[in-house]
Amino acid sequence: MANDTKFRNRNFKSVGTRPPRPDGLDKVTGRAKYGADTFAPGQLVGLVLRSPHAHAEIKKIDIAKAEKLSGVKAVITGDETDEPFGILPIARFEFPLARDKVRYRGEPVACVAAIDVETAQKAIDLIKFKYKELPAYFTSKDAMAEGTVDLHDHRPRNIEREVDFELGEVDKGLSDADFVFEESFNCAEVCQVQSEPHAAIAEYDAEREFITVRASTQVPYYDHLMLAKVLKMDEAQIRMVKPFVGGGFGCRTESLNVTLICALVARAANGTVRLTVSREETFITHRGRPETDIEMQIGVKKDGTITAVDYTAIQRGGAYSGYGVVTILYSGGLLFGLYDLTAVRYKGFRVLTNTPPPGAMRGHGITNVRYAFEALLDKIATKLKIDAIEIRRKNLLKGPNYETLNEMFINSYGLPECLDWVEKESQWNQRKGKMGKFRGLGVACGHYISGASKPVNWTGEPHATVHLKLDWDGSITILTGAPEIGQGSSTMATQCAAEVLGLDMSRFQIITSDSKLTPKDNGSYSSRVTYMVGNATIDAATNLKTILIEAAARKLDANPDDVECLGEYYSAGSQDEGLTFNEVVTAALEGTGTITVKGNFDTLPESWGTKKYRGGAISGSMAYAYAAQVVEVSVDPDTAEIKVEKVWAAQDVGKALNPLSVEGQIEGSVWMGMGQAISEGTLYHNGLGITNSMLDYRVPTIIESPPIEVGIIESIDPNGPFGAKEAGETSLIAFIPALTNAVADAIGVRPTDLPVTPDKLMELMEKNTNNEKSVT
Amino acid sequence: MKYQTPSTTKEAAAFIKREKGKAFVLAGGTDLMVRMKSGFIEPDLVVDIKQISAMQAIKKSATGFRIGAAVSAAEMGENTALKKAWPGVVESANLIGSDQIQNRCTIAGNLCNASPAADAVPALIAAGAKANVVGPQRRRTVAVEKIITSPGKTSLSKGEIVESITLPKRAPRSGDAYLRFIPRSEMDIAVVGAGVNLVLDNNSVVKSARVALGAVAPTPLLVPAAAKAIIGTKLNKAALTKLADACSAACSPIDDKRGTVEFRTEVAGVLARRAARIAYERAGGK
Amino acid sequence: MSGTLVSAVINGDQTEFVCQTDESLLDVLRNRIGLTGSKEGCGTGDCGACSVLLDDRIVCSCLVLGVEIEGKAVNTVEGLADGDSLHPLQSNFIKHAALQCGICTPGFLMAGKALLDKNMNPSDEEIRFALAGNLCRCTGYDKIVRAVKATAKELRKT
Repeated sequence: MANDTKFRNRNFKSVGTRPPRPDGLDKVTGRAKYGADTFAPGQLVGLVLRSPHAHAEIKKIDIAKAEKLSGVKAVITGDETDEPFGILPIARFEFPLARDKVRYRGEPVACVAAIDVETAQKAIDLIKFKYKELPAYFTSKDAMAEGTVDLHDHRPRNIEREVDFELGEVDKGLSDADFVFEESFNCAEVCQVQSEPHAAIAEYDAEREFITVRASTQVPYYDHLMLAKVLKMDEAQIRMVKPFVGGGFGCRTESLNVTLICALVARAANGTVRLTVSREETFITHRGRPETDIEMQIGVKKDGTITAVDYTAIQRGGAYSGYGVVTILYSGGLLFGLYDLTAVRYKGFRVLTNTPPPGAMRGHGITNVRYAFEALLDKIATKLKIDAIEIRRKNLLKGPNYETLNEMFINSYGLPECLDWVEKESQWNQRKGKMGKFRGLGVACGHYISGASKPVNWTGEPHATVHLKLDWDGSITILTGAPEIGQGSSTMATQCAAEVLGLDMSRFQIITSDSKLTPKDNGSYSSRVTYMVGNATIDAATNLKTILIEAAARKLDANPDDVECLGEYYSAGSQDEGLTFNEVVTAALEGTGTITVKGNFDTLPESWGTKKYRGGAISGSMAYAYAAQVVEVSVDPDTAEIKVEKVWAAQDVGKALNPLSVEGQIEGSVWMGMGQAISEGTLYHNGLGITNSMLDYRVPTIIESPPIEVGIIESIDPNGPFGAKEAGETSLIAFIPALTNAVADAIGVRPTDLPVTPDKLMELMEKNTNNEKSVT
Repeated sequence: MKYQTPSTTKEAAAFIKREKGKAFVLAGGTDLMVRMKSGFIEPDLVVDIKQISAMQAIKKSATGFRIGAAVSAAEMGENTALKKAWPGVVESANLIGSDQIQNRCTIAGNLCNASPAADAVPALIAAGAKANVVGPQRRRTVAVEKIITSPGKTSLSKGEIVESITLPKRAPRSGDAYLRFIPRSEMDIAVVGAGVNLVLDNNSVVKSARVALGAVAPTPLLVPAAAKAIIGTKLNKAALTKLADACSAACSPIDDKRGTVEFRTEVAGVLARRAARIAYERAGGK
Repeated sequence: MSGTLVSAVINGDQTEFVCQTDESLLDVLRNRIGLTGSKEGCGTGDCGACSVLLDDRIVCSCLVLGVEIEGKAVNTVEGLADGDSLHPLQSNFIKHAALQCGICTPGFLMAGKALLDKNMNPSDEEIRFALAGNLCRCTGYDKIVRAVKATAKELRKT
């Protein structure tokens, strides 16, 4: 597909414009119904009892009194199902309600369904548990030490997964280097803190043995699979529906215990149960980014060319695997593809600890490693007296059509343009080093996948399927399983279809994520939807267009090759009166009735990643988006407070299908990165979360949000939908090191641990007795 | 839970005294509701004081200002006379949270909630404010710094309610200021708070001063040594350093999730210095 | 359990409802009156997703008791539009993409209205301080500030 010539100069009708999102109206009027907004007649209230212990054997559970309480319809415990769940087929060891053992404080152990909240709470208070406490481990180091008690019998020394690979000759690379630099980093655990706490409502129809579940989710298909598993029900007896969802960022990218518990208790109660959890419980449910300790060595020639990289990453993985294996693999595999690396050695450890399980958070697996790499590279630039942008230019890939050591194929690579843009816009060359005291500029790069080419649950089906329905009223319904979670996927699909058919977006409705109506979709995660569902929508719309052209040709008594689709109008040449869209529709329906077409998308086998080491396939993607950022900061010398003055963020998104939406994603990513860099971090005291509120977990407010200049770079990916790639994660990755590099520039000392809070920075500044800018 | 809306202070005090179970005063509810929701408290009785006329207004008189206990921080910020006379007190009240919180919270509530980090309290202490306390039988006046005894506890006995807070008459050539350090902007609990109130003589020399700190000790602190450091000076560098040192010495903060001991101690001095300079300028000092 | 009868004006309509004394206004609006536009984001007054106008002042409805609104007026996002015409804040939020997932949006709209009702020419800084009690995790806020600014400009013209 010669996308570049096709799309670079084309006059788009819908793609590239800035249409308002179709669901905006529902959201600004309060009409949109999210998970907690639906009330079914006769519904019961669900309430979860959570473990007070971080690690303990469950000796006895007494629910007798609770069950007898008037108004209580069901009380369930871990006895309800012995089927474990988990996002990865190789790591399903979590139960919706704990069985035999509890492994983190707050783990669900029982659930009550009652007529109202007060009754449910009374019932919860009547449940008696007997536990035998076990030693608990809250740090990776403690959990991995000799002589610890295993959290899971099948994971000795609490190591969920160890990754170990070497590509290229690292020792030779290090000895060939003129200099070898190293650094250690610690990145605090962070949470998505999406605006909507988790909610689920399950309706069990006892007569039909059928259950309908509505839940806040990014992955209704995986929910559907896990529901069938834990309920031990036929998949066809389950209907999984996604309501409006208030954000995800990865927190709902795997089946949540909340959803599964809700279904179990609804069945136990033979009715409908609404289970909403508080913000505190949402923090406990977690699935954020794990705390990571990184030790990294980079060898360079004196001109800044990288000869080798050697590093370890230890992730504190919480009590259950979840995505853990993938996270620790991404930390290795995705180091490649940004710069030209010829020798890399990586050791990764995913450790089980008695803390809530992290999962896949925006910039899954690579955010912390990229931070470490970009920070160390910046340190090297300072030491070698090479400009920070120049050292990156020295190590860029030699253009697209490049294959990394771990067989990632880079087909579009807009990073050089991104660097040029931020360099120019920030006036880097004129201002760097001349900002005055306590003010600095920092630069960093990042990249991310546009969907993993090998899905988590591989069934042999296409990666994405979209249906279009065209009926006598001339309206086209897009049916997709792809969950709109706020990121704009429904707008994107509508634009793609509108573009192909030349119609205005108002001709379309979109119905998403109802397993009885819409085709299966793997879900909104790893930035796959624009690439995969966009392409599938284009395929479907193209198929529909073919049908319409053929119908028009028949009606106009012309050759289909001579018929032109002009959106609302089809014509067979300038002499011809042509047909309106509605007339074409009528013609098309003749004899066949309502038309439904299908469109598919499959990833190319060459994008399936490497087999050079176990788990290497994980980094394979059809396309990678690239970002470069420059951040300007000022630091208060007396209080060590960091103010982000301005951000210049360039991202190569292939093609901006909707620049308004793309800007929104980049701005949101930058700002979320800022949160991780300067104020966010979960804290535990003996396994008890002490930052589980929106007061104590510090998400930046509107006052801290910096002015962001967005540069959209379009490299036109050869296989992307109209050339598009991902837009929602890469800019978070690039921000964090750009910030710490700016701080280093401002105060002459380089922070290594995240978040860079004033008290930590003050300590660092005081240690650095010479407070003037010095070589760090 | 019983809910009462008395129309006089005495009635409110009587409700509370009579209640055998747990009784709480409800003004803005921005602390009470949070504690109720978390299960930290389970009130048997909530007495809503917002209908009591004696608590509803800000009254300016020859002897100073009387701020009713039901007056919201937002209303204080909208009172031009109060803002002019006591900008430090008003700005401290206006720092208690977002606009949503401001429209509800009260300085009396902030005081009686007795958090070591209460934002309104250091400036009130520096101002020499007094709390007018009403019980079922009697009234008394208490210096604000004597109200909070330990984290979460006040010196009020059962059935006593703060009816209003009075600020003394503003001396000429006087000014106050409050600064705090928080990790974010409006939404956080103070890591350090410093309130300074000064009176100058005709030569811009500090005649009298009161310095108070918040969030660096179990209760907000009046720091006489810090005041002493700047009395008789024009806030030169040496005086300010002594002030900062006195503040840092008075701190006995804890390491917690909001800040370390070292950080709080250091920043207490920094903020006291900065607040003193602002108060000095407001007092007309050059 | 017996409840308390409360009479108040909600979105301009005289309304009566029964609630428990310890129920929050947010729960009353959502569970009793069916106005689910105001959202529970945190339950502790830290995120602003539940923001409503109470006698024209912006408050967190999760921190107000339902029984407290006796005789008062409450305005929620459902009452913003005038029949079929959106309030300029609503249309500008859509136009400027000041929303993505939409959960924080009702709260921002009400806080924006509270600001513009008092100050029709706010500076960027004034807008930010007025909206500091509303957290958004999707947009990074920039487009929200633009939408409010654009609305102010529009309102000044009329």
